[in-house]
Amino acid sequence: MTLDSVINTEPGKGFVMCNEAMVRGAIEADVKVVSFYPGAPTSEILDTFNSAQKYFDYKFSVATNEKVALETVAGASMGGFRALTAMKSVGLNVASDAFFSLGYTGIKGGLVLVVADDPHCHSSQSEEDGRLFGPNAYIPMLEPSNPAESREMVKAAFEISEKYGTIVLIRTTTRVNHQSGIITTGPIERKPFEKSQWAEVGKPYFTVGEIARQNKLNLLKKVKAMGEDFESSTFNIVTPGEGDVGIVASGVSYCYAVDACKKLGIKPHILKLGTTYPLPRKKIIEFLKPLKIVTAVEELSPYLEHNLKTIAKDTGLELTVFGKDSGHFSEAEEYNVPIVYKGIASALELKTTKDYESVLERAAGLKSILPERIPVFCAGCPHRATFWALKQAIRGRKIVFNNDIGCYSMAFFPPLNFSDSMLAMGASLGVSAGMSQVLKDDIICMVGDSTFFHAALPGLVNAVYHDRNITLFVLDNEVTAMTGQQTHPGTPQDRGMPQGKKKIIIEDVCKGIGVENITILDSYDVKNNVKPIKEALDHKGPSVVISRRSCALHGDRIKRRNKIPIVPNEVDKNACKKPHTCIRDFHCPAITFDTDDRASHIKSDICDGCGVCAKICPFGVIHPVGSESKTEEVEK
Amino acid sequence: MSEQKSFDIVLTGVGGQGIVMLSNALGNACANADIRVLTGELHGLSQRSGTVYIHLRMGGESISPLIPYGEADAILAMEPMESLRYIEFLKDEGIIILNKRVINPPLEIAELSKEKRTDFVTFENIVEKLKVVTPNIAPIDALALAMEAGNPRTENAVFIGAMSALANLPPSVEDMKIGLETVVPKKALEQNIKAFELGYKTAYDGLCDLVQCREL
Ligand SMILES: Cc1ncc(C[n+]2csc(CCOP(=O)(O)OP(=O)(O)O)c2C)c(N)n1
Repeated sequence: MTLDSVINTEPGKGFVMCNEAMVRGAIEADVKVVSFYPGAPTSEILDTFNSAQKYFDYKFSVATNEKVALETVAGASMGGFRALTAMKSVGLNVASDAFFSLGYTGIKGGLVLVVADDPHCHSSQSEEDGRLFGPNAYIPMLEPSNPAESREMVKAAFEISEKYGTIVLIRTTTRVNHQSGIITTGPIERKPFEKSQWAEVGKPYFTVGEIARQNKLNLLKKVKAMGEDFESSTFNIVTPGEGDVGIVASGVSYCYAVDACKKLGIKPHILKLGTTYPLPRKKIIEFLKPLKIVTAVEELSPYLEHNLKTIAKDTGLELTVFGKDSGHFSEAEEYNVPIVYKGIASALELKTTKDYESVLERAAGLKSILPERIPVFCAGCPHRATFWALKQAIRGRKIVFNNDIGCYSMAFFPPLNFSDSMLAMGASLGVSAGMSQVLKDDIICMVGDSTFFHAALPGLVNAVYHDRNITLFVLDNEVTAMTGQQTHPGTPQDRGMPQGKKKIIIEDVCKGIGVENITILDSYDVKNNVKPIKEALDHKGPSVVISRRSCALHGDRIKRRNKIPIVPNEVDKNACKKPHTCIRDFHCPAITFDTDDRASHIKSDICDGCGVCAKICPFGVIHPVGSESKTEEVEK
Repeated sequence: MSEQKSFDIVLTGVGGQGIVMLSNALGNACANADIRVLTGELHGLSQRSGTVYIHLRMGGESISPLIPYGEADAILAMEPMESLRYIEFLKDEGIIILNKRVINPPLEIAELSKEKRTDFVTFENIVEKLKVVTPNIAPIDALALAMEAGNPRTENAVFIGAMSALANLPPSVEDMKIGLETVVPKKALEQNIKAFELGYKTAYDGLCDLVQCREL
């Protein structure tokens, strides 16, 4: 995409990702407050709002976590303004406490929450089904399939939200968020931002006891009314077909189903559901009535399938519902056209002409020569350096290493294969507290700077309060790296990036909480870091080691912007004794070795000159490019 | 939009090579020419050096963001190993345009180092496997051409140029150039256009002997 498609005030056409289309829709809907914590596959929503903020008057902020982000936009909505947040499915777990209450209290200004599921766990810990949040909290839910719908549904969501005084969910999956296509945009006409007065817009937002019980009854009424409203929603589309066979689908599964039916040469009746909570019951009954067989095509849980069954039974329809219960589809994995093709064919007992399995089999055979390209730390990544020192420091010790969520999670993979647990953001602290009570080992936990603020603080307070014998590593790389180097409360203020107004200093926070043993390291100072790490591990009670260096991607970008040269390193090929210390267990994407003499070799286009390899080289044969000749010159 | 011929392509490479930019250029080329287009993208996480792929579907009637196995018209690989990694998507006799420069993953390098071996997977090893699926394999020395254009980071523009030669590609050469112009930063425009031209020309020294190209 180009940002132009998002900010151009005139209507037109643009090639955009669904994430960007949702931003466009929100801007067209005159959204005034947005707040986020990043998480794939929704991070581009945050990033696009960030890039576009200089053109509009909406208030943008990166919040410390999803719960705070949701509460921020809820507050803005209570003040009468349209507001939006977006998060990944596990993010809504964090925010769900406020989310459920918001359902009860209702809202004022249109309030939209985009929640993205991640079938196949491309970038998440679980294949959670966010659709269940809708019925569980009695919150309406829309599901787009493509960029055009993404834009339209966000706009519609604001209308629905204000009409019923309820927060509205837009539920997506990775293949929706990261799908690009052409959209037709509408005009951008925005009212100037002017603060309101509580006396004029406010009402009580309170839910407990008798009030909560009353809220619940109101909520049920709202849901009933919305269900009736959705009967005529243009987001629920029937494509008439032939015979007495039908398909019900939503989201990207609808796309797969349409394409699969074409390949199978069948024309079933298709109901595409865009309002998946509350469901348009009458519309569904109408659709099902003439059918003998209906197949539900949906990823993850059999949410639509079970609803179809209930509706069919209640209505006394003689209908067979195929889906996951019938064994034709799985509740695991992400779908695609071949999977849906096979599922529909087996449900309807159709002959298949496509043999996707043999294509896969042949490919698997051909690919067997390929080495894996698993994610590794970038060239210059400070985490690689921290792990190097940590691994030295724990030699001869019995330890447990509780990892957390961030780029450092990758220690789990080869070459390090180093992690005993990894649950959820901030969880390493709680897990360590538990382990410290039952294990003899040294307990180490590790969080990034963003995770520190997001969810580690309560765990740290708890560890200090109970004097747990644990060592917490905080890898301070200045940004939320893994999701695209967004800012967080600890990001330095001189980065020329739009961000909050005050930098929060991690060691000050730790001191304030009462941590008595705090060690601050320069991540790149690998060899000198081993001893202080050992001392921190020896300390009885909670200790914190802050390892500090900018994320290499972020740091290099800042260097380029400030015209600071990035000088790569090189190996003195003749002096290299080939111990490959810089290769084994180091795995820098910039370092390889020459096939002729096995001397190490640094790729200058990838090397960012961090110099950590030079520090661990036992023979000192790695130098910045041009540095040796310079010393010679000086000597002359 | 009238009935359009379809062209499905898998764009792949290694994080940091500019695959997303490549896809955006193609997408904008289509948008500009009123050609249907959709993509399914796997951005992965933000680390460099991981595998990246984007399914890009031009024209046609399919609405799924992912190309079914064995149905892509072409694979465009900025790193040759990655063409083989996604070979299940290519149809038999499909087109593979691939970079000559192999980027061996750190894991492979470390394994070989440990076993004191030097038998890296080579470009030839990869092509031998690809040949089982298609004879239409066009290697490009993109880095050399990018350097010739004055900027080693314009490898992706070289590929966009090379692809523009294909007769079956829905957007015209001009559309493709406009697509590229829409997405590259102004200060690098000249070098990118040069890289595009070099890529376009180089297609006629290999790719066009294998598959039908536009009239030069
Ligand atoms: C609840 C929740 N929110 C968001 C994410 C997405 N996420 C994955 S890694 C990560 C980055 C954490 O940043 P930090 O701890 O600073 O580590 P870094 O990547 O910078 O090393 C985030 C936000 C998640 N997995 N879970």
